[in-house]
Amino acid sequence: MNSLPENTWELNEVARNTDILSEISSEFDIEANPGTTSNLQFYDDFDSHLWKANYLLCQVNKQQFQLIDPSGCMGEVGASSGARFWWEFSGNQVKDKLQSLVGLRAVLPIASINLLETDFSLRNDDQKIVVRGRLTQTMVGNKIGLYLTLQALRGYTKYYTRAAQLLRPFIKAEINHFGLRFLLMGQNIQALEPKQSTLLSLTEDMRTEQAVRAMATAMFDQTKLYVGGVIADTDTEFLHQFRVNVRKLRSLISLLKQALPTSMLDTLKPRLSSIACKTNKLRDLDVFILAQDSYRAMLPANFESGLNELYRLIEKQRKQEKDKLARYLSSTEYKNDVTACAAELSQSSAFQTPMASKPVLQAVKKLLLKRYHKMLAMGAAINSQSADEKIHELRIEFKKLRYLIEFFVDLLPKKRTGKIVSEIKKIQTVLGDYNDYCIQIEFLNSYIDDTRIEMSKALSGLIAILYQKKTEERPKVEVALTDFFTENMAIEFDLVFGAAEPGDSK
Amino acid sequence: MKVIACYSMKGGVGKTATAVNLAYWAAKSGLKTLLIDLDPQGASSFYFRIKPSSKKWAKRFFNAYENLVKHIKASDFENLDIIPAHLSFRNFDTLLAGFKKRKNRLKRVLKGFNKEYDLVILDCPPSISYLSESIFIASNLVLVPVIPTPLSERTFEQLMAFFEENDYPQNKIVPFFSMVQGQKSLHKATMEAMSARYKMFLNTTIPYSSDIEKMGVHKAPVDVFAKSQQANYAYIKLWKEVSETERKCG
Repeated sequence: MNSLPENTWELNEVARNTDILSEISSEFDIEANPGTTSNLQFYDDFDSHLWKANYLLCQVNKQQFQLIDPSGCMGEVGASSGARFWWEFSGNQVKDKLQSLVGLRAVLPIASINLLETDFSLRNDDQKIVVRGRLTQTMVGNKIGLYLTLQALRGYTKYYTRAAQLLRPFIKAEINHFGLRFLLMGQNIQALEPKQSTLLSLTEDMRTEQAVRAMATAMFDQTKLYVGGVIADTDTEFLHQFRVNVRKLRSLISLLKQALPTSMLDTLKPRLSSIACKTNKLRDLDVFILAQDSYRAMLPANFESGLNELYRLIEKQRKQEKDKLARYLSSTEYKNDVTACAAELSQSSAFQTPMASKPVLQAVKKLLLKRYHKMLAMGAAINSQSADEKIHELRIEFKKLRYLIEFFVDLLPKKRTGKIVSEIKKIQTVLGDYNDYCIQIEFLNSYIDDTRIEMSKALSGLIAILYQKKTEERPKVEVALTDFFTENMAIEFDLVFGAAEPGDSK
Repeated sequence: MKVIACYSMKGGVGKTATAVNLAYWAAKSGLKTLLIDLDPQGASSFYFRIKPSSKKWAKRFFNAYENLVKHIKASDFENLDIIPAHLSFRNFDTLLAGFKKRKNRLKRVLKGFNKEYDLVILDCPPSISYLSESIFIASNLVLVPVIPTPLSERTFEQLMAFFEENDYPQNKIVPFFSMVQGQKSLHKATMEAMSARYKMFLNTTIPYSSDIEKMGVHKAPVDVFAKSQQANYAYIKLWKEVSETERKCG
């Protein structure tokens, strides 16, 4: 069956509900319901995940939320006013959806709308309803918006056309997709602005120091975006993203140090290292707390009291560590470091080294090949007897290699580079899992305390299980290395990154 | 999509009132419902304040579902649409006589509504004809209002016999007592006798009620103007029992 016309128009500011309805009453009998008012508060996370996926999370009253999906369907869900994380909402379906959309992010209020909606029906001479309509009045601050929606009914479209004609003098503009999303779009919500620092687009013949400075500046600016959330302890992702961006910045500077002046390296390297270092402990505690469910599932019930004691201790330490980091990020010491780094990054390129003036693509390709060959040798030296430290070093090299490709991915051949990156990701997963066991064992070991018997028993139990898992994981490392360092991969690196002259790679 | 016919060979037994009120409650329960008024008198359409189309269109009724779609009208109630009757529907039998496989015609055109509606309710004219046979084939349930009097009993027996003679499954027939006057001993006795003989009678009975007669004045289902009256409760109960019976029949 054909769909029926339904339209919404924005009305002139001067129009009043009574004027509009009396205009239509010349030809129709009007039946208007009493208007309903509502105050809707909308929530999203820092990255606007819900908005980007065409979802809206809206608080309709103190303990009631609605998750509205892209088709407009609503899932009602209960939660206390202070709910911020997906696990604090009730209703499995909505909870699962929120989890998949926002992950560990907290949802916070981003906007509110006051609505006054008046539904009405128009009847013909037979007293049959022939058109349905709604007048919507929105209030955002002092700004009032007036909208009229008319809905045709099957078999009575001509009445709809006539009603629309009668109301034409009140109409300011037709609206294509009217709804809450439309009303929110009109508010220019700051929380929904893109969070990515703008990076000037790289060109392959850009000089290396210039390119690195531009990228480093963008990354540095990006780290600043997360500081507020870390200090407020909004969610654990702020610290995680802060650390990821600092790590990437440090990698960029370290990987391309030959293109940068000594003064820049002397300013940035120790300061960034110091900043990163101050965040380590809190992140370790966050990771342990986030994995609480899986740790609890590893041990039988009689270890519960020991685990509870451990988690109480960890939570207490987390609070102290969080306060300490918040103090540091608000301190003069941190601000001075940031100012010094920003000042250094904003300097003009010095071109003090041979690499600094080289076209960036040429420099990056050469570097990628060099690093690959270094890693090939490191990988060949790994065997079943190799120390965990050696595997850790190789893991770091893989991370840097992937960063280097991803930093300059726009200049590299897309398809073939994509395949290499996906192979790197595979081996990173194996190396990462192995490293996680090593780190977790070390972390838990540091809590063994002879004066806390129950807690130490639980810790020993966890360590034993993790050691077992680590042992099982170990052979996978060598398999993954063999799978990655194939003859084909060597040829691929030569083919993709070997063409060092500008213009011969794409 | 399920099809329920409100049918009786006899007139004035409450078919239309049943069709209108059941369609109303089905829609209210969330089912996308289409009421087709097959009775040229057009009483169902009248109860919903819907005027029939000015053009004769009976000729096109059985050709294709696209012809029916054009005549669908929204009712005043959510989920409920209506195809109003037209006086030209009185010629249905003559038209059907000219078709091959005439008994399957209605079933075939209704199939087209599968995606749009969960339930089609047919308000049937009082006759036994080619149209009635099309209705018996097209319907999952044939809901039969029976006034508990000897004459109605006889009519019901005739219907059962017709189904048997023509090999139509008798389990499609779902009778219930209509226009019941509890104070009349004749009604009581007939109900007892018929319920004992025909186990398929529904438990729900529809009382004789001035509220049902007033549907014509208010041009609306009983719930709209006599919410708390016995007749309204009876139709709610009837809808529940009919939908359960329909579910059981699969």
